[in-house]
Amino acid sequence: MSNALSRAVERYGAFRDEWYALPALVAASLIVLAAMPFLRQLALFGFAPLGLLIVTLIWATTAQAWNIMSGYTGQFSFGHAAFFGLGAYATIILTGTFGISPWIGMLLGSVLAGIYGLLIGALTFRYDLEGHYFALATLAFAELLRYVFTNVPQLGGASGFFRPLAREYADGPGLAAFQFTGDLPYYYLILGFLTVVTVVSLAINRSQLGYYLFAIREREQAAAAIGVPTYRYKLLAVAVSAFFTAWPGAFWAMYFNTIRPTTVFELLVNVEILLPAIVGGIGTVLGPIVGSFIVIPVSEFVRQSFSVPGLNNAVYGAILIAIVLYSPKGVVSWPSRFVELLRARTDLLDDDAA
Amino acid sequence: MLSSFLPDACCREAVALGGTFDALGMQAALGLSLPSPTIFAQYFVFAVLLGGIYGLVALGLTMIFGVMDVINFAHGALMVVAMYAVLVFSDATGLSPFFAIPFAVLLLFVLGVLVYRSTIAPIIDAPQENQLIVTFGVLLILVSGVEMVFGSDPQQLGLDLGSLEISGVFVPQGQLYALVIALVALAGTWLFLQRTMLGRAIRGTADNRDGAQYVGIDVPRIDALTFGIGAALAGLAGAVIPLFQSFTPALGDQYLINAFVVVVLGGLGSFPGAFVGGLIIGFIQVFGSAYLGGSTYQIVIFMAFILVLLVKPEGLLGGSGDE
Repeated sequence: MSNALSRAVERYGAFRDEWYALPALVAASLIVLAAMPFLRQLALFGFAPLGLLIVTLIWATTAQAWNIMSGYTGQFSFGHAAFFGLGAYATIILTGTFGISPWIGMLLGSVLAGIYGLLIGALTFRYDLEGHYFALATLAFAELLRYVFTNVPQLGGASGFFRPLAREYADGPGLAAFQFTGDLPYYYLILGFLTVVTVVSLAINRSQLGYYLFAIREREQAAAAIGVPTYRYKLLAVAVSAFFTAWPGAFWAMYFNTIRPTTVFELLVNVEILLPAIVGGIGTVLGPIVGSFIVIPVSEFVRQSFSVPGLNNAVYGAILIAIVLYSPKGVVSWPSRFVELLRARTDLLDDDAA
Repeated sequence: MLSSFLPDACCREAVALGGTFDALGMQAALGLSLPSPTIFAQYFVFAVLLGGIYGLVALGLTMIFGVMDVINFAHGALMVVAMYAVLVFSDATGLSPFFAIPFAVLLLFVLGVLVYRSTIAPIIDAPQENQLIVTFGVLLILVSGVEMVFGSDPQQLGLDLGSLEISGVFVPQGQLYALVIALVALAGTWLFLQRTMLGRAIRGTADNRDGAQYVGIDVPRIDALTFGIGAALAGLAGAVIPLFQSFTPALGDQYLINAFVVVVLGGLGSFPGAFVGGLIIGFIQVFGSAYLGGSTYQIVIFMAFILVLLVKPEGLLGGSGDE
């Protein structure tokens, strides 16, 4: 084995154990993402249309928010479409019906999502729902909203809403209107959202709160026994997660022209939200971002290359199964596994030489 | 004529748009302006028929849960495969779709064992979420596969079984056959579980997996068998649906969600519970779409679901595990 490679592996292995490794990797990833539009011009990533990058970042942000609750605390939510949809609907209803700034709509949607999350959490945690029952209950709360929005005409009914024109409620396109003429500002806006949620996630990961959440995930009764107020911290995790899931929902409503119950509350949305986190690595800060950059481009590539409707969903399914069966810790665990593998091999070779 | 007013679970969107099944249309069709005993009896019949179908849909789901503690998200997708298997079989042979039902059941048993061996068996001891995700992956692959081959347009068998009329109340025969098949399946599965050695082994595994292993039961083999039977029951449910409604690859999702509700209402793992839960959902859906309009009944269903999950998660008839 070449010495350069083994030295690089050793150096990475040492770096990985440093306290600043994760913040450095997160910062590096965000800088690369910020430079992405310029890299596209250099034809490095010329194959990736900006629209695709935007969609990728939307799902990276939802997965990052989902991860705070389900990854850190282990409370597996299958109903995050509820929070996503609340963000989308609050934004577009306030803007379209009342002419209020979409930013206020987004804030209101986030608070509503947080309250809905608290309601779900208060009921399910109070009654000790776990595992399957918890996942099914969260799904039911999401489906409930879908039918409420489908059946109440004031909430748009089955046909939903169209995004109003920027000049109807603002001076025209711009940051204040949450609407732009090109895709590039949208890209930096969603990157901004992702950065905020990622920093929050990293801060929780490194704080006392994070240790409490991990303790709840690993063994809730033991955590409670040593004095962690588990109920309160689980509620906090749900509320934070729901609050931030509404942000990409609001972005979705303003970026795409129309929302309907079937586009934001659909069964598959629940999966699209958590899929990047699972593929990238549940409970890790980088996992949702890495996962999203694997899942969404692959699915989009399949959709565009083969004009077979449904094939991209089959690819989603295959990725899900493959990851859970063969690498449940996700793609971000691969470098470490690689290091372990090479170290074990080096040790073996050293033994042979001695 | 009346068949266009059947409580058609496939057409929720159509129902939401004020379409196939609403009280006014029904009353107009029968020349009445207020609910009469006849109308009420008509709704009652529809509710029982629909409830029986929901019970059948929930049967395989509750069995897999009761024995293996796995929530099978692919259940609706397995039903979809069976629907299209019936379509292909009747088209290819020209025989009555009733002959296609055993074919679909057998096919789904084999498919179920394959799915179990390739995706569930390796992670049967992993956290519950992993199994949920994997079965969802199977759902996506199966439904997309059907969509790729047959497209997403509605298909139907072109079968008109007509309706019986009993003193002004119509009983659509397709759904009546489905109900009879559901009851036979319930009885058959119950007898198999209660009266055979294999059934006893399955019940033992459901009660105590480790204990079953200690007394010499081959638990992985029982799991494969259970998943196969669960898939075969999904196949049976899927195979009878073309008898009375048109179908699309997306139909499975709609039955799946309500089947979860049925299974939890009745108690996860309980067979009689599946039918009691099915009837409850059938009544909410039929009377709800008649008197509340749109798909508002679905809101009632989810509220009932959440209430039972919170207050009595073992279900209305649950607590005793597999029966």
